[in-house]
This record gives sequence, structure tokens and C-alpha cells, in this order.
Amino acid sequence: MATGVLARRLRALVGDDGVVDADDVLLVYECDGYTLERAAPELVVLPRTPAETSAVVRLLAEERIAFVPRGAGTGLSGGTLPLAAPVMVCTSRLREIESIDLRNRRLVAQAGVVNSWVTRAVQGDRLLYAPDPSSQTACTIGGNVAENSGGPHTLKYGVTVNHVLGVELVLPSGEVVRLGGAVEDRPGPDLVGFVVGSEGTLGITTRATLRLVRAPEAVRTLLAIFDSVDAASEAVSDVIASGIVPAALEMMDRLVLQAVEQAFSAGFPADAGAVLLVELDGPAAGLEEQAEAVSAVCRRNGSREIRVARDEAERALLWKARKRAFGAVGRLAPNYCTQDGVVPRSRLPEIVRAIAATAERHRLRIGNLLHAGDGNIHPVILFDERDADEVRRVIEAGHEILAACVALGGSLSGEHGIGVEKIGQMPLLFSPDDLLAMTRLKAVFDPEGRANPHKVVPDAKVCVEARTPRRQAAM
Amino acid sequence: MSAPPGDHAAALAALASELGADAVREAGPGDLVDGVAPFAVVRPADAEQARRAVAIAARGRIALVASGRGRHLSIGAPPRHLGLLLRMDRVDRVVEHHAADMTVTVEAGCTLAALDERLRRAGQWLPLDPPAPAETTVGGLVAANLAGPLRASQGGVRDLLLGIETVSGEGVVVRGGGRVVKNVAGYDLPRLHVGALGSLGVVLAATFKTVPVPAREGAVEVEVASPREACDLALAMRDAFEPAWLELVAEDGGPATRVVFGCAGLPPEVACGLLLARAEADRPGHHAVEVEDAAARRAELAAFPLREAAAILRVSTLPDRTGLALESLARAARDCGVRAPLSAQVASGIARAAIPDAVAVAPVLRALRARREDPDAAVVVERASAGVKPRLVGDADPWGDPGESLSLVRGVKRALDPGGILSPGRLPGGV
Repeated sequence: MATGVLARRLRALVGDDGVVDADDVLLVYECDGYTLERAAPELVVLPRTPAETSAVVRLLAEERIAFVPRGAGTGLSGGTLPLAAPVMVCTSRLREIESIDLRNRRLVAQAGVVNSWVTRAVQGDRLLYAPDPSSQTACTIGGNVAENSGGPHTLKYGVTVNHVLGVELVLPSGEVVRLGGAVEDRPGPDLVGFVVGSEGTLGITTRATLRLVRAPEAVRTLLAIFDSVDAASEAVSDVIASGIVPAALEMMDRLVLQAVEQAFSAGFPADAGAVLLVELDGPAAGLEEQAEAVSAVCRRNGSREIRVARDEAERALLWKARKRAFGAVGRLAPNYCTQDGVVPRSRLPEIVRAIAATAERHRLRIGNLLHAGDGNIHPVILFDERDADEVRRVIEAGHEILAACVALGGSLSGEHGIGVEKIGQMPLLFSPDDLLAMTRLKAVFDPEGRANPHKVVPDAKVCVEARTPRRQAAM
Repeated sequence: MSAPPGDHAAALAALASELGADAVREAGPGDLVDGVAPFAVVRPADAEQARRAVAIAARGRIALVASGRGRHLSIGAPPRHLGLLLRMDRVDRVVEHHAADMTVTVEAGCTLAALDERLRRAGQWLPLDPPAPAETTVGGLVAANLAGPLRASQGGVRDLLLGIETVSGEGVVVRGGGRVVKNVAGYDLPRLHVGALGSLGVVLAATFKTVPVPAREGAVEVEVASPREACDLALAMRDAFEPAWLELVAEDGGPATRVVFGCAGLPPEVACGLLLARAEADRPGHHAVEVEDAAARRAELAAFPLREAAAILRVSTLPDRTGLALESLARAARDCGVRAPLSAQVASGIARAAIPDAVAVAPVLRALRARREDPDAAVVVERASAGVKPRLVGDADPWGDPGESLSLVRGVKRALDPGGILSPGRLPGGV
């Protein structure tokens, strides 16, 4: 079907303002938070309700048109990059929180509800929605479900899949299927767990039943300054080994600290090698003892200074450095990209050394932000996309870092997803038999391969690059 | 039987030659799975032998059911066919426990008791407490999605499972997930196997998160007049302090029901929790008492599903309807002339009744399903003793309505077990 005709038929379903087909506006959708590769879709559809979403997908099914689902576009692995998919279906207008059940701690949100709205809706009742990605004021529940998003507090509370009890999924055929729901432990295999993190390749999530948790009665946040990443890493291992499970345990290295210091004076010593941000939460009883124990571990590992937040304002200040760190590092160079590998947490010192060696080898500047408590690294690689050779080195360095993670017993991605970025490296982690099983499972939901094609599982038969219109930015 | 005897002989010969004669024997009367007899029992010595056994079964199109120690085999619908019983209890190594990383990789046949003993050496545990840990294996834990009271605070198998290694119905090793605590690479195969009763693959090994053993555990207990009152009180106690576990129990079938509130953590935390819980529970007419040995009481409550009974019925519902679910169970039992001991895990919304009399199981089940007092609830026969399952047909099917995901489940089954040899018919909807 010609694009114009399709646009007309889609407008009949979602309203005139629900279809984007002007070239200059389509550029907005040419990439998500992963900017190394760009490709604009031919059309963007923005349904207003779950029912409109299934109607749109039904029409695409009738016409056998492939599509890419998208939430707020904050993803970091290129999961919403259209590859051989002319239509993008954006769920950002599905913004209703449909029901809140405080007593049972359940909330039903449509896909376009922003992550932080959920907690805002229930915080007066001392509940919260635990997964808190750094983009939480922009990213949507639909995107979180697709990516199985994490965040700093997942160390104690778990990631998205641990907090999603049910999803309503529009299959690529347009058929709507409700999996799981407010009641736990339904008989049969855990299809909800399978759909969470499937990166929009099995269909489009339109609604999710979320689990709420009790907001902690008390919080202690402390920041420990170290001379080196090694010393801070040892402290991380010792904290974990001591039997304390912090709510969050974050690390920033020198380059990141300097960037943060430049962006907004947080008062870090210029020669600090690393800081740990540790947050403990729970009942007030016993929390002080835990904070003392953590401080002692840090001091024992050579921490030269420990700052303890005395109130919410001070806590916000400590977190500000962490939450704005990506932006601060971003100011140091025209472009940056980040990786999302995971290592067993005892291997943190090794991976940080490997990253430093990679940086040196490829003549790149790489800073490190780490969800240290669960071994999830976010090296931030700085570059200038106008320098083609540097871009090539960035991509190579990224691959090397992920290969090093896998070699240390880790994984390619802790919370950002495979997307297009890491699809080529899936064979590092999985055997051909594992990947074949995944390909077959995808086909159960999407027999025609029209939902977010060429993502998550590498296509064994064809070279993706060769048959798709994707273009490598600045390459 | 799925195959004529000639093929059985060929399969037996292949098993004996590839695995050794001592790994295979003819089945006896003690090897029935829900009343269905296999022709042989295979007991592989290691994971590779297990894979080969499945591959041989796949070649001969022989149906098999994997089992650890057989303690939880009455969960699910009876197998439609059965040729081999694959006993995994010898595949039982703790492959690696990285205490500093707080992960453990363990083979399917290892019992939870043995695993616990190993983890406690490093001050850690896998906080899942299903009944009979000494007779429950890791494979059974995953396949049957077993849990106990700790589920209230620690989550279920799906929340602690990080990676899995299975053999597909084609005899191929398929792995998913990994060994790190946070991982989103690839589709989530591990969770797919949770509760799948081995029908999507035979579990060879699994990797779990471990956590520190809490320094102290404490509990208080109070008896109130009815299940609904108990449920309301339990939720009020939960709102006063987040419990580690929260159980209701009515040993003689109610109406009097006990609320047992457990907490765990550092000593001051536990002391504070017990104090707040008692303050909530001490109302006119009832008085909370502290439980002497909280961990022992928890184990006792965890054992409910394995008590002597014709069947255990389970209602999954919302937390605040567990009291209602217990009352429905009690009434349906009473109407059929039996008294059924009751138990519930309030935080997870699970209510159970132990039906003492085989004849009463199907009528109680039908009555509950017909009444549909709670439209969201799922009413299932969780376990049944020998001879009961054949009566559970039609509207008394152990699983009830398989729901709208049935065609996807069928597809997933075909993707991982195209020949349909793994636990055929055990899942809802005859999958």
C-alpha cells in the first residue's frame, strides 16, 4: 500500500493528529537514546487508547506491514530503530492510570504512563513503584516492560519483571491477549516473565498490572570518597559480603567526578579516584547500625571521607551528582555513548582495569558510572561523531568491553537491552541452539516477523546490514 | 503408551548401551505418575547422560516425565502418555557458589536441604521454603514453581532464578539467562520454565540469587473468630510492619483462624516488628503471643500442602480476598460433608484447603467453580493422592479454565518440544 493511502487509513483510526508523515517531524523518531545509528520511519502512528492500538496493529497485519513499537524513545540500545519496518507505533498517548488498589498494592497503568507518575500517584499512601531508571521522569511503563528496565534501586528491589504481574499484549496479528493479572500464581508457564524484556519483538504492551511496594520508613544515604576505583570496588565486595543489602550502591570514577564537578560544584576533591554512593532503607530500627557498618567497611578500605546526608535535602544533593552524571559527562565532548555490560560483582576491579586498557588502546576517554552493587557497568565513551575514525574506534571499544564482560562470566546487558547495538554479540553469550530456541519462540508470537524485525536475536540466515536501509551515523 | 513395545525394547537397549545398564531399570508399581505407569525408569549419573536419555526418547518418540525425588509429582494433570520416568536425583552437584557474588549454580537433582547446608557455610541462603526441603530438588522447585511462607517478602522462584540449562524435547541443550544478578540479554527462557512442569524442557541446572541469612527471625501468633477477620487483621499487621512471612491457618477447618506474623532481620528490626505487630493484634477479645521457635513454626506452616489428604485445593486470589477464599473453601467442604483444614499466604493471595475424603474432592471443586464468588480467582487441585485424579475430569479438571493464553502456551510447547514427548498433558488445557 502506498504510504499516503496507509496514512489516510491510519488517520481514520487514530485522528488527524495521530499520524506523523512529514519528513521534518519524522526526524524526531530517527533514533532513541542510542544515537550512533539513525533511520527514520515512513510513518509514526500515535494511538490514544489500547483499543486504537489493536486496531492499528490489525490494519498493519491486514497489509502485512512491519512495525516498531516505541514509548518515550529514551532507550539506550537502539531498540526503536526501524529496520525494515516502515511504521512506528508510539504508545506515548496511552497515558491513563486505570486503577489503583492500595490494599492489594496493585496499579494498572497504560503503556504511555511515565514511570515517575506511578510513584507520584501512590506516594501519599506510603507506597512506591520500585524500578527507577535514570530517565524515570520521561520513560514510559510500556518501554520499561519492553526493556525490563532497572535503575539504581534494583539492587534491593529487583528490576521491572519483578514488579509486573500482568500485561495486555497486542499480538502482531492485532489480537489482544491478557497475560497474568492482579492475581499471582496463575497456572501454567510464566508468559508475563517472557514478554517483559522482549524489546517489542513479540507485540505491543498496552497495559500493565504493576506491583507496588511499601515506601521505606527511613533512608540513610552516604557518600564515600576513595583514592582509587580498586579501593572502592573492594569496599563494594566487603559491603555485600557483610550481609547488608543496600537499596542502592553506585560508583563514579575520576573522569565522571571531574565532569560532575565542572557541571555543578558538588565539592568532590579534585584528586578523588572514585566515590561510592550507598543508600540503605527500611524500618528505622537497625538502620543506623547498618549505616555505621557500611561506613566502617569504607574506612577500612581506605575511604578518606564519608559524607552522610542528614536530611532529605542533603540526600537529594548526593543523588544529584549521580542522576545528572550522564549529562555532566556529556558536556565534555560533542557526543557520548554508554555501555551496559554486567560482571559478577567480585570482578568489578578487573573490568574497570580492562576498560582503562581499552580506552588507552583506542585513544578514547571513557568514564565509569557503575551500579556497583549488582555488577552493572555503564562506561561512558566520549567522542566526536564528525570524526569517522574516532566513531569506528568507539564501536570497537564498546565491543571489546562487552566481550570482556562475557569473558568474566557476565552479560551483554543489565538493563538497556540488546536492541541493534549488541545483537552482533549475542553469539558470545548464547549457542546456536539457544538462539534457535529464541527464534522459534519469537515465531510463536510473531509468525510473520513483523514486530520490531531484526532485534534481540541475530538472524542466522541473512546479514542484517546488507538488507536494511539502516545508516551508520557519521560513518 | 506413546509407542509400541518394539520401540520400548529398542529404547531400552539404547539407554543401557549409552548410559550403562545400571542407569536403567524396568518400572515397578512405585513408579506411577498420577496413576500412569512408565515402562522404564532412567537414572542418569550426570547432566550429559540426562541429555542423552532425552535424545533417545526423542528419537523413539517416547513420552517422559522428569522427577527428582518424586515428592511433588502429584502436581498437574496426569500425563497423557508415559514411557520413561527420568529420575534426576543423581545429577545433584552444587556447580559453583560464588559467595562474594551471591549467586549459586546447582544441578537439578540437588535437594534444597543439601543446597541450604552448603550456602549456610557462607552465611547465605536461597530464601525459598517449600515443604519437605530434604525431598525437594532444584528441578522440582523450578518446574512446579514451589514456594513457602517466605514468598511474602522474598518473592517466588521467578524472582530469584537468574539462569537455566535445560534439555529440549529434541534432546538439545538450551540455556537462558546467565550467572549475574542483572541480565536482560535475550528472551527470558528461565522464567518460561517456572511452573511449566518440565513440559518445555528437562531442567539440568539453574542459577539463583542468594541472600544473607537474616540474623534473627521472630514471630507472633493470634487466634481470631473467622478467616475474614484473620485476613483483615493480617493486612493491618502488614501495614504496621512489613513481615517476612504472614500466614493464616485453621487446623480444624475454622471458623477460628490463627494469624501468624513473622519478621526477620537485625535484632532491633525484629524486636520492633514484633512489637508493632502485637500492638495491632492485641484487641479486645484476642491476645497475641510470641512464637518460641519462629523458623520451626514457619517450616510447619510451609508443610501444609504435603499433609495427609485426598487433595489440596488452592485458590489464587488477591491478598484482601484470602479470608473470603478460605470461607468459600470451608463452606464448599462442609456442604459436601467434610471438614477441611485451611491455610493461606495472605501477602501472595493463596488459600488452601486439605480435603480429607477422595469422594468429596470433585464435588467441592465443582461447587467452588460454579459459585464464582470471586471472578478473578483461579481454583485448582494442587495435589491429589493416588486414585483421585481419574475422577477429576470435565468441570472438575485439576486446572480449570486454561485462560486466553492457551494458544500461546501451545505454541511455546511446540517450539521447545515439537514431538510432544515432555510431560504431555500435564499443563492447563491438556498441553
